[in-house]
Amino acid sequence: MTRSIRHLCFGLIVGSFGIVYALPSAEGALLDGLMGGVEESLGKKAEEKGERLVIGNFYQAERPDSHAPIGVMQDHTHNKGEFMFTYRYMYMYMDKMRNGTDNLSSNDVLKDFAVTPKNMTTQMHMFSAMYGLNDTVTLMAMLPYVMKEMEHQNRAGVNFTTNSSGFGDTKLAALWRLYAFETPSIGSHRFHLNTGLSLPTGDITPTDNTPLGNNSLLPYPMRLGSGTVDLLPGLTYTGVRNDVSWGFQALGTIRIGYNQQGYKEGNQYKVNSWGAYRWADWISTSARLNWQQWYNIKREDGQLQTTVGPAQIPLVPTADPDRQGGQRLDLMGGVNILFPEFMGLENHLNVEAGAPIYQYLDGPQLKQAWSFWVGWQMVM
Amino acid sequence: MNNNNALWILLASLSLVMGHGATHAYEVGNVQTGGSIHGRVSFLGSPPEPLHFKVEKNTEVCGQERSLMKVESRDGFLTGAVIVLEGVDTGKPFPPKTFTGNLPGTGEFRYLGGESLGLQVKTKDCNFGPFTGVIAANEAVQFQNQDSIKHVLHSFVSKDTRGRILRTVHNQDLQPHDAIVREFPADKMEDGVVVRIICNRHDFMQNWLYVVDNPYFAISDQEGGFTIDQIPPGTYTLLVRHPVLGEQRQEVTIEARGDLQVGFAFVDE
Repeated sequence: MTRSIRHLCFGLIVGSFGIVYALPSAEGALLDGLMGGVEESLGKKAEEKGERLVIGNFYQAERPDSHAPIGVMQDHTHNKGEFMFTYRYMYMYMDKMRNGTDNLSSNDVLKDFAVTPKNMTTQMHMFSAMYGLNDTVTLMAMLPYVMKEMEHQNRAGVNFTTNSSGFGDTKLAALWRLYAFETPSIGSHRFHLNTGLSLPTGDITPTDNTPLGNNSLLPYPMRLGSGTVDLLPGLTYTGVRNDVSWGFQALGTIRIGYNQQGYKEGNQYKVNSWGAYRWADWISTSARLNWQQWYNIKREDGQLQTTVGPAQIPLVPTADPDRQGGQRLDLMGGVNILFPEFMGLENHLNVEAGAPIYQYLDGPQLKQAWSFWVGWQMVM
Repeated sequence: MNNNNALWILLASLSLVMGHGATHAYEVGNVQTGGSIHGRVSFLGSPPEPLHFKVEKNTEVCGQERSLMKVESRDGFLTGAVIVLEGVDTGKPFPPKTFTGNLPGTGEFRYLGGESLGLQVKTKDCNFGPFTGVIAANEAVQFQNQDSIKHVLHSFVSKDTRGRILRTVHNQDLQPHDAIVREFPADKMEDGVVVRIICNRHDFMQNWLYVVDNPYFAISDQEGGFTIDQIPPGTYTLLVRHPVLGEQRQEVTIEARGDLQVGFAFVDE
């Protein structure tokens, strides 16, 4: 069974790249020529206003909000031959425990567990590149370097900290242009399909010293990857009219098979919607709502210690595969700055920060307090 | 997959390949007793004021301000109208021609001629070339950038003369002192009448290229005049097209060694 799944994954990877490379001469969006009725109707309305209807213009004029807020990825496509390098830094802070929508104190958690997490920081340095392969497909690759730190407290009142760091999972994606249309009065509207794979390059057996012993296997939230090949399907819509831009993106992370430790993380679904206003040619501000839902782990890591002592007291909630799921709605605010062109390079500096306005956790789990993103994008 | 399915897929693939190659193509041949057409294109009315643009990017190359005259007429005669004789299957070779137009800058459309049109767009001083020109489907077009700055070439095709619904064909960076070759494939150009090219970085760079499939075309000069020669005797449709003023057509009969005088008149709407 495992071998079949591996063959399936291998086939999917090879197949995805095969499709992309089989279409090097692809010209235009996938739905071009299939929207005759829509075009007739839009064209008629445009003509009544003395305007032209433009189909298939995926080019985003060089403006500060030509890219989504920095926390959103795969939000735009590139013209043929265009290359973009992005460096993102993310800092996320999680503090205090929650079950459902109820906040819990450390003592509440320690009634049922020997150890409780107190807070956690996650930092990621993300290096990504996008390349416009042709007028249909934009390729994307992203490799993160992840640093995690979690503080704990046990029933004896002893605090201790665990750390893990290293490269996370590598993401490869192909963004397929679907359709785009614009007129001066209705603005421009663009749709593309996101397809991708997450490859298990992140360590799922990180260890650190704990009161239980040296080099103890760390629980699920401290791991740097999923350990599985994951599919990353999605759909993105963006729009621009005068100084206002907006977007909507739905992305999924579908886990395939089980990892070498015998478990798989739950699927994850994200929906982002954002709006931005361009105050000047070089600066825009944005607001974003990010809803996400992620599910519990299936099966479990047999090597992970989950209980302690002769009474088999549950060790820590982070080691319980059935206490990993949740839902969250984040509200983020951001600033995008477009720098003057330098040596033919277009440079964007983008910052975004925000906090959850709702989170339901299948806990006890650490709840997210806030997150901060900063990114540098260079288009050439 | 059974044998029948495989056979159908094979036949369908072959028909696609053959269908693609079976599109009508102009053939060069001898024209012993060809006739010619002379004519003038008039414009009765006041041409719209030129559009003025304040240059936002690369002023060191493009200048501080640019203008774009979409309807250019002098003494009641229209410059830059594209005259096309439709329905000629065999005839003279494509002649080499160069057009520079009257827009600011020194870009030009150069037609190499021979068996095909051989269009080269030589961009210079933020100018692709004259406001109007011609282009052929299924033919490689070379876009040269002689400027020291990047242009973003964006081309659209439209099924009507004035480009009311424009469909993107190419959208690609044109790096400084670089050249790219792009084809305008027949499937994209199906029923296409005109190709519009613009630069996404410089909004005053916009040109219109009418689709031709034979060398029997002309572009009206500063006196509105045009000549098309070496036309095989026969009856054809003569079209005159302009991106702002639209299209007019008339049926013409060319006699052996004959010289036909025609006239077109656009009025200010």
